[in-house]
Order: sequence, then C-alpha cells, then structure tokens
Amino acid sequence: MAAKKSVTIEINSEIRDALIEEGARDAYKCYQCGKCSSICPWFQVGTYEFPVHRLGEETLLGLLASSEEKDELAREVDKIYRCVGCEACIDQCPLGVNIPKILRAARRILVDFGSYPETLKSVVQKLRNVANPLGESPERRGDWSSELNVPNYDSRLEYLYFSGCLPAYDVRLKKVANATVRLLQLAGVTFGILGEKENCCGEAVRRIGAEKVYQELTKRNIEVFNAVGVKKIITTSPHCYTTFKKEYPDFGGVFEVFHITQILARLIVEKKIVPQKAFKKKVVYHDPCTLGRQNSIYEEPRIVLRSIPELELVEVENFNHNLSVCCGAGSGGLWQDWQRDERIAEVRVNQLLATGAEVIAVACPYCLQMFEETIKSMGKTTPVLSVSEILYEACGEVF
Amino acid sequence: MEIVVCIKRVPQTAEAEVKVDPSGRDIVKDRLTFDINEADSYALEQAILLKEKYGGSVTAISLGPAEAEDTLRIALAKGADNALRIKEEDFTPLDGYKTALILYNIIKDLKYNVILTGCIATDDGYSQVGPIIAELLGIPHATLVTELEIKDEKAEVVRELEGGLLERLEINLPALFAVQTGINEPRYASLLAIRRAAKKEIKTLGGADIQGEVKSLSVLEKLYVPPVERRAEILSGSMDEISEKLVQIIKEKGLL
Repeated sequence: MAAKKSVTIEINSEIRDALIEEGARDAYKCYQCGKCSSICPWFQVGTYEFPVHRLGEETLLGLLASSEEKDELAREVDKIYRCVGCEACIDQCPLGVNIPKILRAARRILVDFGSYPETLKSVVQKLRNVANPLGESPERRGDWSSELNVPNYDSRLEYLYFSGCLPAYDVRLKKVANATVRLLQLAGVTFGILGEKENCCGEAVRRIGAEKVYQELTKRNIEVFNAVGVKKIITTSPHCYTTFKKEYPDFGGVFEVFHITQILARLIVEKKIVPQKAFKKKVVYHDPCTLGRQNSIYEEPRIVLRSIPELELVEVENFNHNLSVCCGAGSGGLWQDWQRDERIAEVRVNQLLATGAEVIAVACPYCLQMFEETIKSMGKTTPVLSVSEILYEACGEVF
Repeated sequence: MEIVVCIKRVPQTAEAEVKVDPSGRDIVKDRLTFDINEADSYALEQAILLKEKYGGSVTAISLGPAEAEDTLRIALAKGADNALRIKEEDFTPLDGYKTALILYNIIKDLKYNVILTGCIATDDGYSQVGPIIAELLGIPHATLVTELEIKDEKAEVVRELEGGLLERLEINLPALFAVQTGINEPRYASLLAIRRAAKKEIKTLGGADIQGEVKSLSVLEKLYVPPVERRAEILSGSMDEISEKLVQIIKEKGLL
C-alpha cells in the first residue's frame, strides 16, 4: 500500500477576502456535496475533469489560481475559464450556490492583470473598440436591415428590436434577424431598430470578467435607449434579454424586456400570426440555458413550434427544460479553443440527434452558431434553425 | 544574475479600428485597450526564466505615463523583483533615440548582467531602443532572439533571419538581447502574486533624475492611413487551379 502523502496548505485570507469583495460570497454556503460537479456539462464531456464542488472551498482557503508553479497555474487559469455559465450547478445546488459568480470574481482580478486567455483578450479588445465581438465596423451594424424597410426607433413605435451582435453581422445569423423582422411586420407590430447606435449588451464581456468594459457598454446603451425613449425591447438573444432585464436596472436602465419567442407565442395565441404552410419535419427543440433555466421561458418557443402544421415536435427525454445541456458558448466559451474531444456542443448535438430529429430548433444565436459548426465538424448535415426562421417558413405563403 | 527588462504599455491595435486624432500625430485611443507590448511580454518571461534558473533579480523598467504602472505591476506579479517607471510626461515627444537615451541614463547606474527588451513595439515599430541602449552602454547586443541560454559568463543565442534562416551566436556578458515573440510561453500571474504585487513599491524617476540634455533625432510629422489602392483580379479555371493560383498570390504577397 502506498504511503499517505501529507500536504500542507497555507490558507491565504487575503485572496479569500479579495474574491469575496469581487462577488464570491456564495462560497460560504457550499458544503461540497458534489451535485454541481455531476450536473456540470464538463462531467458529460468526460475528457476534462472539473471538480466544481471544490471551488467554494478553494475560494475560502485562498487557493484559487494561486499556484506558484507556471504550468500548474496555467491549468488553474484554464479551469477558471472552463465555466460556460450555464447555471446548471445553481439549479441543482441544495443551497443555490452561484458558482459562476465565484469564478467571475477570480476572472475580474485576473482580467485586471491581463492574466487570462489570449483569445478572450481579443474579444474584450474588440468590444471596447467597436462594441461588438466580431471586430466589425459600428457604422455597418444596421446594414442587415437595409432591404427590410425597418425604421429607426422613435418613441411613437411600441418596441425596440435589439438584434444583438451576431444577428447584426454574421452572414448566417442575419437570416434570423431577417425572419424576425418579417414576422413582426406581418403581425403589424410597430417597432424600430437603433442601427449603428446599437452596442453590444455586454453580457459576454461581463462574464469573461472585464467588468469595466461591460459597464461602459451598459452605460452607453442606457443613454441611447433613454435618448430615443425606449420603453419595451425585443431581443433575438436570451443573453441580451437577461442582461437588460436583470442587470441593467442596477445601472438605472429599467425597460420592459421580451425575448422574441415570447412575442411570437403571444402573436400566435392572439391569431395575429397564423402559420399555414406545412413544415413536415421532426423537430427537436433545444432549451438554451439563458432562456430556459435562467429565465424560465420553456413554453413560449414550444407554443410557436406546435402551432405549425405537420411539424412533429420531439423532446430530448431527461435532458430538456431545466436539465437541458449547454451548447458551450456562454461566458466566453464561444471563443475558446478547446480540443475536439473537449467540446460540450458535441455532447448536446448527440443528445439532440438521438431523438431522430431532422431539424434542430434553437432560440439563441450562440446555440445556433455552436451547433452548426459542431454538426459540420462531425460530418453531419442536420439543419439548425431558429424558432423564428421555422415560423417564417411556415408563413411562407403569406409573403 | 542581475537582469533588467524594458517594457512598454501600448494600445492594442492589431484588431482595432484605428483612427488618427485631430493633431495628425497620434491615434484616437479612448476606445482601445492597453496591454504590455507583445514582444516585451516575452522579454519579461525570459527575464523571469533566467532568474529562476540562475538566481539573482529582475528589474522591470517602463518609460511611460502613470498608467504604465499597471503594466509594471503585472511584471511584479509575474516575478519581477523591482519596478521603475520613468515619467514619460517629463520627456515627450519621444523618438526611438531619445527613449533609448533616457533608458540608458537610468540603466547605466544599475547592476546588470543581462538586459532584455522586446524586438519591436507594436505602436511605433521603431525596433531601435534595444540596440541604441546597448551601443550607449558599450555592450554587445543581439536582436530577434529566439533562444537564449547562459553558460560560463557567456550567452548562447539564436537569432531569426529572413528566409527561414537561424543564426547561432556566442556573446560575452553583459549584453542586451532584443527578443522575438515565441521565444517562450509567457506565464499568467497568480492571484497570490497579484496580491503581493499590489503592495510592492513602484519607484518613479523623472526629468530631474536624468543628467545632461536628452534630445530626439527625428520629428514625427504626420500619421495617416495610406490611400486605398483598388486592385481586383478574378481568377478563373477549375477549383484546383484557382486554389493553386490563390496560394501563389498569397505567397508572393508574403502573407504566408
């Protein structure tokens, strides 16, 4: 039998206090039961060991990202940036310990010292510089709408449609913004956009730990919203939704916020949109973490899909609603260079495809991009469509 | 071994939209992020690696504005023992020569066996500071260093030349090395080291600490975005032919 190795741990209360100050107070609640580790998407990936249940204790002992050995420290920083903010751990935790927030505390300190992954530095750089993570020109932010006859928002219009960064610039995701606008126009909703005045909501950059850049973006958006008299906002992305709804009020920005699936479900119930064209496919709906688990919007996207003639809606048994598995794109995950066998999206795609679905329906630009790229790299061809795109197609004859 | 490393805080412009400010001699920086100059980050890492291997101490120096103290604090957190800021505000405008002359005036009174700098700054791209400091100190130097080992008071260095060639040199110490990116893998700073660094002193020196007159040899006249040359070429042929032609063009333009 091998001799027991004794390890001396030096407790560093200063690091603990610094982390607590940056928002890691929940560490005190953790009693290391381990439910978080077993629900974490990394547990399902299986090739990367992420002992989430130790993070609280590591925080209180002041051991988080504190190795004095270069390679070990690199592994510790990598660990802090493995969290994709899906919040499955919070959902399952008997005491609701906010693990992503504990990690964000460490991220904030690391970001201030430039001690975080280079790929994410580049994202922070672009967000500060041009207010979108793609590095595209702010002047071209409204170009996606040039043929759609969408007015700039003014207070006579009911809603501001906030496309978000990816739908504004990404060739594939522009189609989602496009379908959304056409549906709102069809239903007679009055709305406008901000065009080049729109800035990133700041959700990702805050979760990466660049709090100052987040607050700059937030303040700029609130100023713009207030200047044109915005009261109600429709978002494409659950990430913009949650940020406007739950985080902007802390900075004085109080608006009525809707995710597009909420608006579409209501328009269908009110019969303002009546899909008539059959969509004769087996469709599986993926609950995005930020829409479902984090904001309890489970039913609305399903109401939209069920309203479509001949669409067969299937579910990922045991892994839907609050147990849906993340696509891996949150909290900076979209820009991380993880190994091929370390991809959360692949786990989820396999679950989605196991239902026999011919189409994967999503309600978040991140999920769409993640799944499309992953499916392609897996050598498969299953289409990934947003709920808005499917509904738009089912209204095809109207256009 | 006593090691001095010169680092610079620069705006991150690689992926940014860069605009020239109304003075026509600087860029608009209010929407840019700042970080340690890329090559300097490798120089700093090399300094810490040398200290870990041979003992001694690392002194990081930055000629920059007050914000450069953030960069120096990062150096302290990564393993530098001393940090020194020379107040840029006392000396502007600066060219490569004047920068080197100021740094020389400070370094000459320090103990050093090895001086490290980055091989180029991403903001002004002069690549002059390292070699000029070495010349003023009367010590040998090597630029574009991609490997650096110390053996019996001598340095064995590898330099990167054009055309994929490498050059191996033996250089007597003390000497200055302007290192190339990729020479090592810069480390992160740990939370522990960050806390420690927060308490360390950053010494500041200014105009009064430099003897004699320091003058620039060049004057920046104008900074501008080059006029766009429009040239389009449509490639024809089969997919394979087009791909081959495209690769050829990319190679010719030196992009590969």
